[in-house]
Amino acid sequence: MSNKYNAVTDQIVERLVEIVGEKYVLYGDAEKLEPFSHDEVAESQYAHMPDCVVRPESTEQIAAIMSLANDERIPVTPRGAGSGLSGGAVPVHGGIVLLCDRMNRILEIDRENLTVTVQPGLVTNEINDALSQYGLFYAGYPMSLETCYVGGNVAENAGGGKAVKYGVTGRYVLGLELVTPTGEIVRLGGKLVKDVTGYNLLQLMVGSEGTLGVFTEITLKLMPLPKSSVDLLVLFRTAKEAISAVPTIMTAGGIIPTAIEFMDQSSVRASCEYLNESIPYQDAGAMLLITVDGAHEQQVEREYESIGELCLENGAIEVYVADNYTTSERIWKVRRNIAEAFKVVSPHQSLEDVVVPIAAIPDMVDGLGEISGRHEVQIPCYGHAGDGNLHATPVMNPAWTLDEWHEKLPRIMEDMYKLTHSLGGMISGEHGIGHKRKKYMNFVVPEASLEMMRAVKRALDPNNILNPGKIVDVNDAS
Amino acid sequence: MRFIVPIKQVPETNAVRMDEETGTMVREGVESIINPLDLYAIEIAIRLREQHGGEVISISMGPANAEKAIREAIAMGCDSGVLITDKAFAGSDTWATSYVLAAAIRRIGDPGLIICGERATDGDTGQVGPGIASFLDLPLATYVGKVEHVDNDVCRVRRLIESGYEVLETDMPAVLTVVKEVADPRLPTLRGKQKARKVEVPAWGADDLDTDPNRLGLKGSPTRVVKIFRPQVTRQCRKVTAVDEESIGPAVDELVEFLRQRELI
Ligand SMILES: Cc1cc2nc3c(=O)[nH]c(=O)nc-3n(C[C@H](O)[C@H](O)[C@H](O)COP(=O)(O)OP(=O)(O)OC[C@H]3O[C@@H](n4cnc5c(N)ncnc54)[C@H](O)[C@@H]3O)c2cc1C
Repeated sequence: MSNKYNAVTDQIVERLVEIVGEKYVLYGDAEKLEPFSHDEVAESQYAHMPDCVVRPESTEQIAAIMSLANDERIPVTPRGAGSGLSGGAVPVHGGIVLLCDRMNRILEIDRENLTVTVQPGLVTNEINDALSQYGLFYAGYPMSLETCYVGGNVAENAGGGKAVKYGVTGRYVLGLELVTPTGEIVRLGGKLVKDVTGYNLLQLMVGSEGTLGVFTEITLKLMPLPKSSVDLLVLFRTAKEAISAVPTIMTAGGIIPTAIEFMDQSSVRASCEYLNESIPYQDAGAMLLITVDGAHEQQVEREYESIGELCLENGAIEVYVADNYTTSERIWKVRRNIAEAFKVVSPHQSLEDVVVPIAAIPDMVDGLGEISGRHEVQIPCYGHAGDGNLHATPVMNPAWTLDEWHEKLPRIMEDMYKLTHSLGGMISGEHGIGHKRKKYMNFVVPEASLEMMRAVKRALDPNNILNPGKIVDVNDAS
Repeated sequence: MRFIVPIKQVPETNAVRMDEETGTMVREGVESIINPLDLYAIEIAIRLREQHGGEVISISMGPANAEKAIREAIAMGCDSGVLITDKAFAGSDTWATSYVLAAAIRRIGDPGLIICGERATDGDTGQVGPGIASFLDLPLATYVGKVEHVDNDVCRVRRLIESGYEVLETDMPAVLTVVKEVADPRLPTLRGKQKARKVEVPAWGADDLDTDPNRLGLKGSPTRVVKIFRPQVTRQCRKVTAVDEESIGPAVDELVEFLRQRELI
């Protein structure tokens, strides 16, 4: 299939050099190109080398690159920080990797309209660093905020631990400037809170994984910075008890917490043992980590107290309270180190990202237990209970050879995805499809919807040069 | 048995910034927490009470808002607390602080074990625990990693020393300063927080304690801070570069000459 694309010749490189300058074209040095052959997906079979990497500094340069690539039929793969977990930034057909790292400025903080406009290569964390002095904050960031770029967040429609209350990236994207696959510069949206002027192309771009356009300017909605925040670590006997507490908190408690993270027994054990953490986890079949934030300390205090009481009424063994950074860090560490802890078992893991309706989480956990037993593989399950997004992560059985793992993993994934589908879920909640999960799309998405996706892609990218081979294959037409 | 735990409120180190001009810490807007090393003292005191019965009283000398640290200690499981606060105490060094804390312990009366953290993460001196012992004229064991036995007459502990461990037995009452391995601190619970909010925390000033006014605060502190500065790392770097075959020779010569001049080769 890749033979329909042309290779990056010396002449093409020359023209790229004319556009961005010699310093900003990486070509012919395999060692330097290697880091751009993969993202954070660990398995090497998903990697692919680019022919060259270009680092533009303006929208106009990107437009010139796209029109050159379109004329010459050369694939272009946009790349942010490369922290993706679905292979989105991997140039599966070679060609040009378009690296956004030089476009890393905050262009405007508009305090009257509560918006910030940034370039796509800005490290997400830096938005809030710049905003805190104005008492404002951007709430859409993922947990990788210290490395990932805003452009990558918009392209993946990233969601963080705080999605229960604040929603995911897409909720905050008000305006985009982008370059189309054919090299046109287009603006969508602006600084409007409401806008139904035509099709919602803006939100079509959000989560498009770099396949429909290259974002060059992003306008995000801001909120007042919460002044107070408290974390609760709640121990339950069973996963079922833990999960059933979640809707109760929102309905009976009338509170939408900022985060509700779930950790199953094996995750908690592995992480606590890894950290030498003495929280009495032995009796806990599952834990919830609940964050409440707000403008006033007293209000946050009332809210965490009623959430804690509800948990105790619903069978919680213990409720721990962390109301300062040091204590909060101690409990968030347990959540953050789960993946690391399982690396002791085996470095070969497949970090999955299934999402189910929240009420289906206990069935999902039970079903995963069954799959884990049948395949003799550990599948720790943790993630964002408040929004049903679970990082169920098969970890290679250390008794297996790598070949056995590669042979068995697809079958484990099929079973996991079938289970997810049977519970009304989808195969990715926030990490995206890329090429890692493409072959599983038809497990959960009906053919008619897949065809709509292909139609969109064909219409906007007639030569299929922008990040080809991701999400769906245009040529798979029915 | 009565366990008394002196604790200190310190700034959250994650948020600490230095004032470039004065070389001191910017405390404004910085959250305060219990000195992290005091948490181990609180934990071992609670465990000993769980084994032997009695009560754990935490005391803290500091500004009025150090009451928050005491309530946090109660949320972890201490039975009660006393805040020791007075303008007259401001500017106290470790000597004056130990003096006042010793007076407060005398007023509480009948101590069994007085358990301190190893040192405070802000001042980093580790002198207050020993200071209390000397003002109260009690036996002292520092760097305690394990409390092996305690009853009304003796206390046996394992101390961490440079070359290993040392087991000491002391008469009671006694003062201990403890290190991390003594016991992992528990987290405050919801029930603990609720209790801590309701408990009355008395505040004692200079008039409530039997102390000599001349030995309080800055006036009573023999230590004088003459200068605060950040040590400068003075490393001068000279870079020798070689980019291709041709430049290697001269670069090596330059480096050899450089080292020879300094009599390093
Ligand atoms: C430790 C860790 C924790 C993580 N936690 C979370 C989490 O909590 N939530 C979450 O959602 N994800 C999480 N991720 C995944 C990842 O960080 C996000 O998907 C992030 O949004 C990717 O951003 P990036 O800049 O690294 O993008 P990349 O990986 O470089 O690229 C991702 C996609 O964006 C496209 N893209 C990049 N820039 C542009 C642009 N300017 N225009 C158009 N397309 C573009 C690329 O083509 C690619 O398809 C985590 C990853 C790690 C390693």
